[in-house]
Amino acid sequence: MNGTRMLAQSLGSLRRYKLRSAFMMLGSFVGVAALTLAVSLGEGMQAKVMRTVRQVLGESSVIVVGGGGRLMGTPRANAARLTIDDVAAVVKEVPGIEDWDPQAELSRTAVKRGELSATVRLLGDSERWQRVWGRGVSRGEDFDASAVNGSARVAIIGETVAHAVFPDADPIGAEILIGAVPFRVIGVLERFGVDMHGMDRDNEIVVPITTLMRRLSNADAIGAAKLLVTEPSAANETAKQVAGALRRRHSLDRDQPDDFVIVTALQAQEMVSKVRRVLLLYVPLASGVILLVGGIVAAALMLGSVSERVGEIGLRRAVGALPSDIRRQFVVETAITVVIGGVAGIAAAYLILGVVAMHVDIGLMFSWKAVVTGVVSSAVTGALAGVIPARRAAMLEPAVALR
Amino acid sequence: MIELEHIRKTYSRPTGETVEALADVSLRIEQGELVAIVGTSGSGKSTLLNVLGLLDRPTAGRYLFESREVEGLDVRAQARFRNEKIGFVFQAFHLMPRTSALANVELPLIYSSRASVDGLGLKALEAVGLSDRVHHLPSELSGGQQQRVAIARALVNEPELILADEPTGNLDSQSARDVMDIFRALSDAGRSIVIVTHDPAIAAQAERVIRIERGRIVADDRVATSAHLEEAR
Repeated sequence: MNGTRMLAQSLGSLRRYKLRSAFMMLGSFVGVAALTLAVSLGEGMQAKVMRTVRQVLGESSVIVVGGGGRLMGTPRANAARLTIDDVAAVVKEVPGIEDWDPQAELSRTAVKRGELSATVRLLGDSERWQRVWGRGVSRGEDFDASAVNGSARVAIIGETVAHAVFPDADPIGAEILIGAVPFRVIGVLERFGVDMHGMDRDNEIVVPITTLMRRLSNADAIGAAKLLVTEPSAANETAKQVAGALRRRHSLDRDQPDDFVIVTALQAQEMVSKVRRVLLLYVPLASGVILLVGGIVAAALMLGSVSERVGEIGLRRAVGALPSDIRRQFVVETAITVVIGGVAGIAAAYLILGVVAMHVDIGLMFSWKAVVTGVVSSAVTGALAGVIPARRAAMLEPAVALR
Repeated sequence: MIELEHIRKTYSRPTGETVEALADVSLRIEQGELVAIVGTSGSGKSTLLNVLGLLDRPTAGRYLFESREVEGLDVRAQARFRNEKIGFVFQAFHLMPRTSALANVELPLIYSSRASVDGLGLKALEAVGLSDRVHHLPSELSGGQQQRVAIARALVNEPELILADEPTGNLDSQSARDVMDIFRALSDAGRSIVIVTHDPAIAAQAERVIRIERGRIVADDRVATSAHLEEAR
C-alpha cells in the first residue's frame, strides 16, 4: 500500500472513532502545550534578559557593589565601606579602565511639586553617567563636572516622574522637592521601560552624586560603581585586578571575605543561563512524563481498538493486505492521532502566550524550536504507542479474525 | 479451474489433542460453477472455504488454481493472489462502520497493484443494483443492501472465484433471494462461486451441492441447473 492511501486510511479511522481519538490526543495535547510554553517562555525570557543585561551592563563593563556576601542576599555586611576615593584609586591602579561612574541610590524617595507627589528611585551619579550607563537625556540638558563638584541641586527626571508631577506642564526649569530639598529640573531621562526585575526605570531621578550624599543621605559610602574596560574580552581579568586592589585598600586579611561584590556582564549572562537551564530541564521532564502517560493511554486505547476491529483486520487481510500493511496502518494511525494532539497543544500554547503577552511583557517570540520539538516528541510518542497494538493486529490470523 | 488433492488440515488444541478438520479432501471446481458446501457446524466446511481462500494453509495436500500450485506461495504472493483472484463474502458483512458504501467497496483496491482503479467501485456497485446508494453509510442500508455492498466489494477486483461463508445467514428471505440471484447471475457470467451454507433452501439453488461430514466429502451432487430452478419456482 502506498503512503497516500495509508494516510487516507488512517485519517478515515480517526474520523470513525472520534471519541477514542480525542482521548488519545489528550496526553500529547497537554504535554506538548507545556513543552511549548516552557521552550517559548525560556527563549523569550533569555532574549529579554540578555537585552536588559546588555543595556545595563554592556559587554565591556565591571560593576563594583559595596558590601560583602551574595549579590541578591540581604543584609550585606560592611555595606558602608565603598567610597568614591576607593574607586578613584582603583581606577588609577588597574590598567585598561577607560571610564567610570560612582553611583549612590535612595530607593524610595518622596518627590513633591505643590499638591502632586510621587515616590521614586533617586540615583546620584558623576557627570560621566551618560557615557558609562549608556543612557541619555531626551529633553533639556545634563549636569556637568562643576555641578558635581559644587553639589548643585539640579535633577534629571524620568518620564514616569514627569507624568506624575508635571501632568500638564513643562518640567524643564521647574522646581521640585526631593525629600525636603528643593531641586531645579534641568532635563528628562531617555525612556527605558521595565527592566529584568520588573522595575520601572522611568520612575527615576538622576542628581549629582555629591548632592545626594551631602544634602539627602548624609553618607560617605556609595552603593556601586561601574567601570568601563577598554577590552571587553579582558573584563573578567580586570574584575580580578579590581578586587585585588580593593582588598588591599580595605586592608582585608587573607581569611576575611570581600566587603564588596563584583559583577561582569559575563557573570550575569551565566546566571541567566542557569535559570533558563532549570526551566529547560524540569519543564521538559514534566512534559516527558505527561507524554509518557499519554502514550501509554494511547497504546491502551489502540489495543482496545484492535480487539474491536478484529473483523476489519481480518477483512483487510482477506482482500490482500500484508501483515506489514496492517502493522503500518496501526502505527501510522496512532502516530497521526497523537501528533494531531501535539499540534493542537502547540496552537493552544501560543494562544495562551498571545493572550498573556497582551497584558504582560514576557518577551514573546514564535519559536520554531518549540514547534519542531513538540511535533517530533509527539510523533515519537505516537509511533512508540502504536508499536504494540500494531504488532497485535498484524499477528492476527485472517481465518481466526474473520470467525 | 480449481483442484484440491488429498487436502488435510489438523489443529492442535491447547490441551494437546489433535483435531482433524479436513481429512483427505479432493475436489475439482470448474469455471462458472455455483457450488454449495453444506454440513453441520464443526464438519469442516468453513475450514475448506478458508483453505480455498488461502486464508488457512493445509497441513498436507496440493492446491492448484488455474493449474498453478498455490499452497506453497509465501505470505506476500498469497496476499496478492487473494487480492486479484478471490472475492470474499461473509455472514457478518464486515463493512467498515461510518464509511460510505463506495469507500467500503473500494477497500480491496488500496491493496491492489493495478495502475488505474478509477470507476471500478462504481461499476461493482452498479453490478449489484446499488448505484443509488453510493454515498450511504452501512447504518443507512438494510441488511440485504449491506450484503450487496459486501458482494460489490468482493467483485471490485474482478476475481475468478467468489467465496461466500453463510452469505444469507443474517438476511430475511427476500434479501436472501436477491443475494442468490446476484450469485447466479455472476456464475452465469463465468465466475466460480462457492457458498458455505447450512440452509437447504439456499443449497437447493446451487448447481452442485457438496456435503461434508467430519472433514470428509460424503456427497457431491450436480442436482440443479438454472433451468431446473426456474421450473421449481
